Amino acid sequence: MDRKKTVLFLILFFILAVLLVIFFKNTGRERIKKSGEIPRPAVSGGAPVATTMKTVKLFFLREEDGRLVAEDREIASDPSTVREAEETVAELIKGSKTGLVSSLPAETKLVQLFITKEGVAYVDFSKDLIEKHPSGSTAEISTVYSIVNSLAFNFKLIKKVFILVDGEEKETLGGHISLDHPFLPDYSLIVKE
Amino acid sequence: MMMTAKKKMRILYRTVLLLTCFVFVVSAAGASGPKEMKTIVIDPGHGGLDLGAKGRFGTLEKNITLAISFKLKTLIEQNLPYRVVLTRDKDIDLSLESRSAIANNNNAVLFISVHTNGSFRKKAQGSETFFMSLDASDEETRKLAYMENTSSELEKRIEDENKDEVKMILWDMAQSAYIKQSSQLAEIIQQQLSADPDLKTENRGIKQARFKVLTGVACPAVLVEVAFISNPEEEQKLVKDEFQRKIAEALYQGLKRYTRLFS
Repeated sequence: MDRKKTVLFLILFFILAVLLVIFFKNTGRERIKKSGEIPRPAVSGGAPVATTMKTVKLFFLREEDGRLVAEDREIASDPSTVREAEETVAELIKGSKTGLVSSLPAETKLVQLFITKEGVAYVDFSKDLIEKHPSGSTAEISTVYSIVNSLAFNFKLIKKVFILVDGEEKETLGGHISLDHPFLPDYSLIVKE
Repeated sequence: MMMTAKKKMRILYRTVLLLTCFVFVVSAAGASGPKEMKTIVIDPGHGGLDLGAKGRFGTLEKNITLAISFKLKTLIEQNLPYRVVLTRDKDIDLSLESRSAIANNNNAVLFISVHTNGSFRKKAQGSETFFMSLDASDEETRKLAYMENTSSELEKRIEDENKDEVKMILWDMAQSAYIKQSSQLAEIIQQQLSADPDLKTENRGIKQARFKVLTGVACPAVLVEVAFISNPEEEQKLVKDEFQRKIAEALYQGLKRYTRLFS
């Protein structure tokens, strides 16, 4: 009986050892994978002098006819699309530098932005986007599509944009356009150069 | 002798029964005309704490939409064989869902939501008519197809207690069945809005967008944006009783033409 017990014990110990080895091997692999991804940002971070810039197109309203016009803007290039998208939205909120009309209230702040695997960018704005919004179908449509077009046009990863306010899905900005779904870009609203 | 009396009674009883049935049916058929008067639902945009768009001189959209809606209601009731229901007849808050529910609960045959427009641009001006868009993304199209295929079967299977919930889901997309008619209604109303030379409001055409207030409406439905309250010049017009009356007249003419054409 005692022998049987020790044999059983040894077998269990062996299985445990094998499992441990497998476990550590896997984590080792993960580490290697992760470290394989890291070098890129490490290089750009290590050489702060070489912060490369990137040109994005922001969409603002043209006073004469209310169509969307592209305005070039320099943002810091970043390996993360999320960071670049965040900066694009921040620049959009700052407004036009060439006299075009902004379609986001100036008080608006970008709270958070993330992109799903399916290519939906969730963009969370401060409640100013609703509280300071002028309301009206036309105003809402221009707000929605200056955001959606500015993101989808510049980033291939972003296929659709879901607009959140104050951390949650809102019914509308001011009683008109439904925000219950992610928007596809609408380039028909853009003036072709 | 006794037997024939009984028989006579029986025959008399039967004829009386038949006669009452006949009278009942005839009267019901006769009464169905005026009783089944169709309903048009007018939705004055915004209300209560929801002021809508604001003008430079302090004009509030919610007040203008109510004033135009009252005028439109009077015109329809005086000239067309339709009953008119307003989603609100005073300055109260009303959710967008309640507005479409009022249309559906009244079996509305037409729904018109009255608004005045707002823009970030000072110069924006003119009138436009919107109808529902189904820029249905992939998953929505699938959901819709699924609903179309299974809704009848679903309703059979769903227990009574859950029925309301299912109905709500179906209502959620009710407008998708009326897109074509809604576009025709939008076109006719927009034509009337730009036909009146006295209105002098720029024709911005008909457009499609996903309007929350239209999604659940189970009949042809449009949202009109008459002039820009955000444009000081148009704001000055919108407060005038005469201008409001002309807008109401144009909307009335549009509804009239649509009902003549399609019903």
